[in-house]
Amino acid sequence: MDFNLSSEQRSWQMAARKFAEEEIRPISLQRDAIPTADGPFDWDIIKKGSKLGFRTLAVPKEWGGHGTDFVTQALVMTELAKADSAISKAFSQNWKWSHLISATCTEEQKERFLKPFVADDTFVLGKGITEPSAGSDNRLPPDDIKAGLKLKAERKGDEWILNGEKAFIANAPIGKLFFIDARTDHTVPLKQGTTLFLVPRDTPGFRIGKVFNKSGWRFYQNGEMIFENARVPHANVVGDVGGAVRKTGGRGGDTTGGDIFGDLELCANALGICDDACETAMRYAKTTKQGGQVLFAQQNVQLQINKMFMLTEALRSFVMRVAWEHDMKIHSCNAGLAMNYSTDVVQEVTELYMEVRGAQGCVMDHHTDKLVRDSIIWSHLAGDSVQRMKVARRLAAAA
Amino acid sequence: MYNLHLSAEQLEIRDTVRDFVTREIKPAALKADRLDVQDRSLLTAQIDAASQLGLRTLALSEALGGAGADALTSCIVTEELAAGDADIAGVLSETSRLAHLLFDRAMTDAQRDMFLPKFLTGDRFHLAFAGAESDTRLGVNYHRPVAPEAVVKTTAVKSGGDYIVNGVKPGVANAPVAGLFAVLADTPGRGAGVLLVPADAPGVSVRAHEKAWHQGACGDVTFKDCKVPAGNLLGGDAAALLTGADAAGRGIPIFQAMNLGIGRAAYEAALDYAHLRVQGGRPIVEHQAIATKLAEIAIKLEVARAAIWQAAWASDHPEAVADRSLSDLPLQTMAQVFTAEMMLKATKDAAEVFGAMGVMRDMPLQKYVHDARVCLHSGDGNSDAKLRIAEVLAGYRRATNGAMAPAAE
Repeated sequence: MDFNLSSEQRSWQMAARKFAEEEIRPISLQRDAIPTADGPFDWDIIKKGSKLGFRTLAVPKEWGGHGTDFVTQALVMTELAKADSAISKAFSQNWKWSHLISATCTEEQKERFLKPFVADDTFVLGKGITEPSAGSDNRLPPDDIKAGLKLKAERKGDEWILNGEKAFIANAPIGKLFFIDARTDHTVPLKQGTTLFLVPRDTPGFRIGKVFNKSGWRFYQNGEMIFENARVPHANVVGDVGGAVRKTGGRGGDTTGGDIFGDLELCANALGICDDACETAMRYAKTTKQGGQVLFAQQNVQLQINKMFMLTEALRSFVMRVAWEHDMKIHSCNAGLAMNYSTDVVQEVTELYMEVRGAQGCVMDHHTDKLVRDSIIWSHLAGDSVQRMKVARRLAAAA
Repeated sequence: MYNLHLSAEQLEIRDTVRDFVTREIKPAALKADRLDVQDRSLLTAQIDAASQLGLRTLALSEALGGAGADALTSCIVTEELAAGDADIAGVLSETSRLAHLLFDRAMTDAQRDMFLPKFLTGDRFHLAFAGAESDTRLGVNYHRPVAPEAVVKTTAVKSGGDYIVNGVKPGVANAPVAGLFAVLADTPGRGAGVLLVPADAPGVSVRAHEKAWHQGACGDVTFKDCKVPAGNLLGGDAAALLTGADAAGRGIPIFQAMNLGIGRAAYEAALDYAHLRVQGGRPIVEHQAIATKLAEIAIKLEVARAAIWQAAWASDHPEAVADRSLSDLPLQTMAQVFTAEMMLKATKDAAEVFGAMGVMRDMPLQKYVHDARVCLHSGDGNSDAKLRIAEVLAGYRRATNGAMAPAAE
């Protein structure tokens, strides 16, 4: 057992901490407060972070990225999320899909897509799976062949014609390249009939619809995608036709970078929120007075703070173990479990932080309010019953 | 005799209000721009309509022109209103509650003559109690006496035939809509007293809270050399009456009924949606995972309602406590703690049923979660409320000078 970070890991952590404190935190609440759906996003911070390497952190060195390991990625996500969870996610979403490109794309595809991605500070990636009538059905596909995503792709010569729509797609409003899951065979269940396509933003027949206005993670943009006879070259098929679900995880899970990263991503990001809540709660309790005494003098406040730190440190142990296991190529169900666990922890910790503040009256400041709004996002992303059952089924398959 | 039957009148009021909420409140309350918790305005027209229905004067005695509703009926009505819109429930229940306390119980005939006609005829005439100020929470003062000067810093100094009021009251429920304030102030030599201060009296200014970290209407009230006739001082122990200190945690759980209404709105939305949304080849209500969640929400609502109704009934029937039919514990405070904790869980679970739609700002679920959070941290707050219960359990007796009672209950 060795819990020491390497000097490279430590140096990325420090760089992320500096960027988070100096650049992200000063704009965090300001961006969050903008009421429109597409208002909070800001290219300036993305460009600044990109120049420091936070957009291309997970791209292999031979393709011009930084080729960091999972431990580094977890450390950086946590540091960025400590200043703003949504901005951290806006960066790490790119790592998720650069893992996928590295793991599944051909050299020719990497040449066409990975190179421009690395070169352009405003090149952002996304992946479209969810549709208005298919959310949970994509995650836990039932045997019914009609269930799951419906976006249709039909081959015509050297092209595929895509028709249908996607909803809630992260980075849709700002991305330059998207991985799109589409049904290429409607006569078989989702798992056998889905193909993954690389769809550049300027694809004819493809456009972005509305941007969703969320209560939390406001900086991070989710939007609709509309495909009306969108024409995608056959050369943009990722892997085999009908092989999308296998490529990106499927029931067994963890076959490529994209999927194992996604679970780690959510728990590492949650840890950043927890760190922020703990640090702020401690400072608040030690400096705010009630009846002539600091709040920390109260037993109840001490107990609340104890629980916040206890849960946060337990989550950190789990997150770092999962990251280390990924680096060691020990593939277990731990990433999924850590993701589920992070939902419970991030919500309990932020709610305890509210309790600490509540000892001084009911008005919550913007920062406190933002932390609980951001933490609620985990309810439908990382800790809903489908995400928990999915991990249970992986465990059962491995048992 | 143990009897859980509502009277025919109570059932009728419930149906009337439920119908009013469905027809008049929900269509307005569920509009996308009203669901933004950061920027929601009061539905004034609907509050006016509710006033014409008698809901503003619900608890005022019939003799004085109200409906004379008891605590249980008030709670039933408030739950119904809050299931439609928590802000409407907040404004109306506060005015109705104070109407009973002020006009029926605290005022002299002369004071009534001065203020009642205006109150009865003005659909927009609401009432507010500017009570405790800063440093009045239990926290560090658990099981310890509090110096009275730490409680009320606002002063009312006698000057000839008048009182001159000076001070600032933060976070007063109904302040922006109030026509009349009852102001807790230190009257030198006489201790804490309550003065009636019309909102249009010179020297009164209200700064409405912009962001919705409250239900209803809320604001800071400043009194600067505000002169009111000496006759506006309430007699008896009005401070204890208005702060609820004399009820010792056994007052009317009207705020809890509002909290319950918020949970119910979330539950009803989730149940409807679970029938409509199909995943896994079946409506999600047919999936164990969702079904269990819905059952858990329903359990929380029922048990919270039982606690609220019991506390309300105890408030209406002190003899039932006296003859040991009911516990003499602070039932209202207990209902508060339970309801606030359970409704946050319930609204979060209901939002999860909606998947991503549960966090969209133009959808109601994120608002219900926010509203439940506001309840959890409003007024007393659960940490303080538990300490208050503990003081009773420990046999600690607090002076009933209004010193330690919550500001907005």
